[in-house]
Amino acid sequence: MNTHVNSDFTPDALVIGAGIAGLQSALDLADQGLQVLLVERQPSIGGHMIALSKVYPTLDCASCITTPKMSAAAHHPNITILTNTEVEGIETRDEVHHVRLLQKPTYVNFDKCIGCRLCEYACDTEYPDPFEEGLGSVKAIAVPFTNAIPQKAVLNAEVCGTCGSCARVCPTGAIEYDQQPRRLMIRTDAVIVASGFNLNALTVKPQYNAQRSRNIISPLMLERLLAPHGPYGRVLRPSDGKMPSSIAFVQCAGSRDESIGVSYCSRVCCMYAIKQAMLLSGALPLADITIYYMDIRAFGKGYEQFYQNAKAMGINFVRGKVARINPVEDGDLSLHVETTEDAENPLQERRHDLVVLAQGMIPGWQPSATTPVTCSANGFVAAPTLTAPTATTAPGIFVAGTAAGPKDIVDTIAEAGAAAMQASQYLYQKRSAILVG
Amino acid sequence: MSTNDKLNSQEHSQEDEFPCEERGCDEEARTWQKAAHAQLRGNPTEEAGAGAPLRIGIYICRCGGNISDVVDVERVAETVRLIPGVTTAKVHTFVCSDPGQHMISNDILQENLDRVVVASCTPFLHEQTFRGAVARGGMNPYLYEHVNIREQASWAHKHDPEGATAKAIRMIAGAVGKLRFAQPLEQIKLPNHRRALVIGGGIAGMKAAADLAARGIKVMLVETAQKLGGKLNQWGRVYPSERPAAVLVAELAERIQQDPNVEVLLGANVTEVSGFIGNFKVAIELQGSSTSTPSRKDATVGAIIMATGFRPYVPRDGEFLYRAEPCVLTMPEFIRFFQGLSGGAKQIIFNNRSIRRIAFLHCVGSRQLDGVHEPGADGRLNTYCSRTCCTTILQQALAVRERFPGVEVLDFHQDIRTYGSGEENYYIEASKAGVLFFRYDGSEPPTVQPTSSSRIKEGALTVAVKDVLTWGQELEVPVDMVVLGTGMVAGQIGDLIDQIKLATGEDGFLQEVHPKLRPVEVAVNGVLLAGTAQGPMNIAETLAAAGAAAAKAASMFAREDVELNPYVAQVDPTRCCGEAECVTQCSYEGALKIVEMQLDDEVIRRAEVNAGLCVGCGACVAVCPHRAIDLNGWRLDQYEAMVDGIAADLPSTACASELVNIH
Ligand SMILES: Cc1cc2nc3c(=O)[nH]c(=O)nc-3n(C[C@H](O)[C@H](O)[C@H](O)COP(=O)(O)OP(=O)(O)OC[C@H]3O[C@@H](n4cnc5c(N)ncnc54)[C@H](O)[C@@H]3O)c2cc1C
Ligand SMILES: Cc1cc2nc3c(=O)[nH]c(=O)nc-3n(C[C@H](O)[C@H](O)[C@H](O)COP(=O)(O)OP(=O)(O)OC[C@H]3O[C@@H](n4cnc5c(N)ncnc54)[C@H](O)[C@@H]3O)c2cc1C
Repeated sequence: MNTHVNSDFTPDALVIGAGIAGLQSALDLADQGLQVLLVERQPSIGGHMIALSKVYPTLDCASCITTPKMSAAAHHPNITILTNTEVEGIETRDEVHHVRLLQKPTYVNFDKCIGCRLCEYACDTEYPDPFEEGLGSVKAIAVPFTNAIPQKAVLNAEVCGTCGSCARVCPTGAIEYDQQPRRLMIRTDAVIVASGFNLNALTVKPQYNAQRSRNIISPLMLERLLAPHGPYGRVLRPSDGKMPSSIAFVQCAGSRDESIGVSYCSRVCCMYAIKQAMLLSGALPLADITIYYMDIRAFGKGYEQFYQNAKAMGINFVRGKVARINPVEDGDLSLHVETTEDAENPLQERRHDLVVLAQGMIPGWQPSATTPVTCSANGFVAAPTLTAPTATTAPGIFVAGTAAGPKDIVDTIAEAGAAAMQASQYLYQKRSAILVG
Repeated sequence: MSTNDKLNSQEHSQEDEFPCEERGCDEEARTWQKAAHAQLRGNPTEEAGAGAPLRIGIYICRCGGNISDVVDVERVAETVRLIPGVTTAKVHTFVCSDPGQHMISNDILQENLDRVVVASCTPFLHEQTFRGAVARGGMNPYLYEHVNIREQASWAHKHDPEGATAKAIRMIAGAVGKLRFAQPLEQIKLPNHRRALVIGGGIAGMKAAADLAARGIKVMLVETAQKLGGKLNQWGRVYPSERPAAVLVAELAERIQQDPNVEVLLGANVTEVSGFIGNFKVAIELQGSSTSTPSRKDATVGAIIMATGFRPYVPRDGEFLYRAEPCVLTMPEFIRFFQGLSGGAKQIIFNNRSIRRIAFLHCVGSRQLDGVHEPGADGRLNTYCSRTCCTTILQQALAVRERFPGVEVLDFHQDIRTYGSGEENYYIEASKAGVLFFRYDGSEPPTVQPTSSSRIKEGALTVAVKDVLTWGQELEVPVDMVVLGTGMVAGQIGDLIDQIKLATGEDGFLQEVHPKLRPVEVAVNGVLLAGTAQGPMNIAETLAAAGAAAAKAASMFAREDVELNPYVAQVDPTRCCGEAECVTQCSYEGALKIVEMQLDDEVIRRAEVNAGLCVGCGACVAVCPHRAIDLNGWRLDQYEAMVDGIAADLPSTACASELVNIH
């Protein structure tokens, strides 16, 4: 993997973010013979997808689909990857994009690190593992996760006690406590913004009381609990490690709600809730699983059948809005639900021992202040032309995946290909114009 | 004896040695078998030509637990390590990950491995991945075997860990056997015709053509109608931009008509397709018009993009009183009618009646359930969601309310699926504009009947529904007009399916290889999918899919040659006697033919393989009486060794002494 970059390097295109969108865009550009710089702010490429358990609609394990793309990008002769590097902004002058990068210190010299993990074993400071959504713990210096790329240790300076044990055991002398942030300016003709999504806060709706119970969890946590190599190796609820027996999915807990400023649909929650429910009923065959929803939006290819299968498996679909969630005794939760199912008894209190809130998808990065790209009212990168869904307001800058709005992996991958095509055309046109002129 | 020597000797003493004679044939086969047997039982490494004994590396994947939760992978490793020739057997959590792949390439270099087995998931996912890793280690990638111990062991025998473990061991032993006779192979390189054929001139086809042309790639676009634009020619303003569809169509049409790289053929049909990636031969029939006569055009193209679109669902006669009552319209019919209303119209007049109340019904021809809906003429239920109808209905409902505030609009749905960018707004706005919503359960769809005489004044048609929103009240609502939210069904492209050997899904739409790994590719290399030919999509999604297909084609054209898998049949001219049984058996036109060749004074006949057309199915191998044809990478000796490996008396618990005896 080529990771050496200085300001003389002028790639044909720069891709911001190495989630599935960025990876696919980079591959589709590189396969066309173009030089690509792929920039990721996290210590590993792979984005959200690499942390998912299995993915709908095929129920392939997420690692099995993501790792080949990660690996293909890492081995591609036309792709250079910078991790731990944040795109801070873009200035465009004379049709050339000057991209400002911040390389964050990892305190490990990647040229020397061989990924042996001796530092990790020697370190005795632990903190909640971000890859496991805080459910497990990880050492202050560690290779981010099993199938991370690159396989290099990264030190978290915020928790490190600088005891020096990692430096003592490192066989190659790779630990560098005095590393400083480094700024870099890269010139390129084309940029693809693939900066992805975040979820809005679990506490965004105060009436759900997420801050008062550890058993109200985010769907990303549940992905880790369901992953075959997850933090506990099975599904246990966070507060007391009990195997849950009655699980509730509360849909639209951060979307389709003007009161919290997210009026749009997050587009993936119905399907991942159904998926998670199916996986849960495999992991916990005796558990009751209920999905509280307004509309089930199973619109993609094969999705409706997926939904019908879940119904046939005995997963309860309850049409109704959850008005309040209150913690009750034994770590359980009481849901105040208004359902459309029981005319006699429309308002019900229902008890569950684990609740998953379908948080809304929000942009992963706000480029409008520091780049020529403008965003729509809901913060996603706007795509202004009728015939090019991956265009942005800035010529030569394109957008792919959830950076442009909520969408699932299938739609993200298609869009990533389209963005790469748009960028390669742009480069071809620009360069033939120069050749002719 | 070299091939030539052998051919010569055959010529001189045909009686005795030419294998065409029944007797000779048997003898040949026997000798062959004996030799193969000897090789199998003896030391095949010498046959492999290496001189030194084989050095096989085996890598067993835990798949993060998907495999190791059932299969005792450590025991598998310990056991297979004892098979002669195996020098390394390792277990890894994700062999497909970068460190896993690195381990393989590293071991090849450090330990001089010359054969590699990975036991993991289906080869469909990772065979290519590991071939790449093996190649990076400097080994020929075809000296690699992939064993699927996830789908075939851990998943298939979830409740029998012991059996799953034993099976995994046997499968690996089989692969090792096969590898003993593996030979290095090279990818087949063929010239690449840098031109794409796009079939269909809707927005998908136009977008793919425009994108490729702007990259400097030649495109031939074939549209059966006399006009570009497809279904969009029928819609007015489209969601979510609310711009006229005609503007979008014109923009794309202009781009391709002005680009010298694109040849647009209207009123044309693709009638013949043969060949393979990089080299498809196609024939196109032009229908002819008032100014031209019908004609035919032949072309060679490197890639084919299928952009043949969808058909709107047409209800059966009588379905919701369609065709029985004039005021029951499908959505395309309603759009045409509503667009046609004059700008100054103060009320909606249809069929000489003033329309005061309109009902929109969702999911007509979509989300059909067994036992609730009647299958179509082809016996199929459309169980899928058509993805665009909800937003289209709300867009039209809102338009009616905005233009004719006096007209009541009722909406009957199971779920409102306004999922896309800007789509939820239609739902919000329609609610604010006073559209009345009724919700039914999928198993109890609404019905449409003529209104009883007592309420006829309220509207000629009555929609009856069990409304979930009012806790299951049975409601009967008289209306003046019913608009059926008809969805999408697969296009009818007839012969092309067979000629190109396309696969269709249960829903009838063209089927991709894998929705995430290869979303716009089909099983036939060089054929790509764009837009709604693959399944329901809205405009933005169609354009993105078309762009993705163009990107794949552009990547393909970035290379001088096309490279194909070497798994094709190979004829041994010393055994072949031109009887052509293989040719008769072959179902891939042009893949096998009999050629005449001059040998000294005589003309002899031999079978010859066209590597581009051969798919490596092996039908020829099975029928050849002389064992003169075999499949590269899957030769009969390899099969036999594989079967021997699997069937060898193999205890499931690692019992070293017995194991060593298996070969
Ligand atoms: C709980 C859950 C379950 C899901 N399950 C499924 C499923 O089963 N099937 C399915 O199809 N979809 C599923 N999805 C949706 C899926 O996760 C997304 O479609 C997909 O991950 C989007 O990929 P992306 O590349 O657009 O974004 P991301 O994965 O978010 O990647 C964006 C990357 O950009 C980086 N980045 C952002 N800003 C910068 C910057 N300024 N500089 C450098 N790097 C930057 C980020 O660090 C990140 O790595 C699920 C989503 C959730 C929340
Ligand atoms: C009622 C309705 C309203 C809609 N409104 C909207 C909207 O407002 N906004 C939105 O985003 N989406 C809308 N859609 C979806 C939109 O129509 C589709 O996304 C779009 O038409 C798909 O384009 P396409 O090129 O894939 O297919 P098509 O439009 O079907 O084009 C396919 C083309 O291929 C040609 N063809 C077919 N077979 C052959 C052959 N064998 N040889 C040569 N040519 C062939 C056809 O003649 C046609 O020109 C609507 C859909 C419906 C049903």
